[in-house]
Amino acid sequence: MHIPDGFIAPQLYLPLYGIAAGLWAHGAKRVARDLDETTLPWLASLTAASFALSFVALPLPGGTSAHVTGVGLLAASFGVWNAFMAASLVFAIQALLFGDGGVTTLPLNALAMGFAGALAARGLFLALRRFHTGLALFLAGWIGLFLPALLIALALGAQPLIAHDAVGAPLYFPFGWAVTLPALLIPHALLGLGEGALTVLGGGLIERLRRRYRHD
Amino acid sequence: MKTLGLLLAGLLCLAHPATAHDLQYAVSGANAVVVKLFFVDNAPFSFEGYEIYRAGEKLPYQVGRTDSQGRIAFLPDRAGNWRIKAISEDGHGLDFTLKTDAAAQVAAADKPAYERYGRIFVGIGVILGLFGFLSLYVKRNSP
Repeated sequence: MHIPDGFIAPQLYLPLYGIAAGLWAHGAKRVARDLDETTLPWLASLTAASFALSFVALPLPGGTSAHVTGVGLLAASFGVWNAFMAASLVFAIQALLFGDGGVTTLPLNALAMGFAGALAARGLFLALRRFHTGLALFLAGWIGLFLPALLIALALGAQPLIAHDAVGAPLYFPFGWAVTLPALLIPHALLGLGEGALTVLGGGLIERLRRRYRHD
Repeated sequence: MKTLGLLLAGLLCLAHPATAHDLQYAVSGANAVVVKLFFVDNAPFSFEGYEIYRAGEKLPYQVGRTDSQGRIAFLPDRAGNWRIKAISEDGHGLDFTLKTDAAAQVAAADKPAYERYGRIFVGIGVILGLFGFLSLYVKRNSP
């Protein structure tokens, strides 16, 4: 789901860079204010784990593959801004050092997966944890993967409308919503189950370790 | 009999333009540039659409789909840079440039600097290093 360069028109990625820059500036202030010596090693470990998880591709029906992101776990455990900044760091390293995901598409990847995904995951987790923590973590993981897939499918499918030549041929991503929505939503609805299970396991582990080190 | 012969000759003359639509083929060996596209788990980018452009041109030089092994083969007609764009319906893909001469000898391709496992270790190292610097900052500012 890391969109490479050449897929998104400047009419979309330039405004997205403006929005993302504002959120990155605000996020940096929030992280600097909220982070302390106890939470920082946790966030560092989970960010590194999120980076490593993105290399684990799971095969899906239809011959394609997808990967979990860990954004739901980051958001449920450390809040939206920490998750957004950590995910943005991962996407930036992938794009700038390794060519996974584009530089022009970095704001779309960061806003869809890092911000919207984290916001939905954190919101759902806070709303549901009073009823059942495990279910809240599971749904946080699922929505943290599924909502970004929806946003990216919409952004990709809009490209033929946004940027085309005189005869109507797309200049960037060539497929419309009729193709992108099922192509992205069906696999990610299934993969979200794996992301949800991972969030339950990871969230439980973090909570146990936190309690243990608090008592030490 | 003579009339029949003239009739046959006339029909053959009329049939001549139809040969323009008779598709022929010729087989020859040639050097091709072969580009293999695959995911980080080495799964091939199979049966996905691609476009190849000469440097600076908007009309594709070649379009098609990758084969079952995720490969693209093309025969450059000149030396220079070639832009290869491969896109799947779910948003995976690549857009990169390679340089070749007219004999399909590849001179350079703008591929990522690290391979798969190297990437994971380098990336984790960069992340932990950045957080290390951040912890120094947090420690300095803590009361």
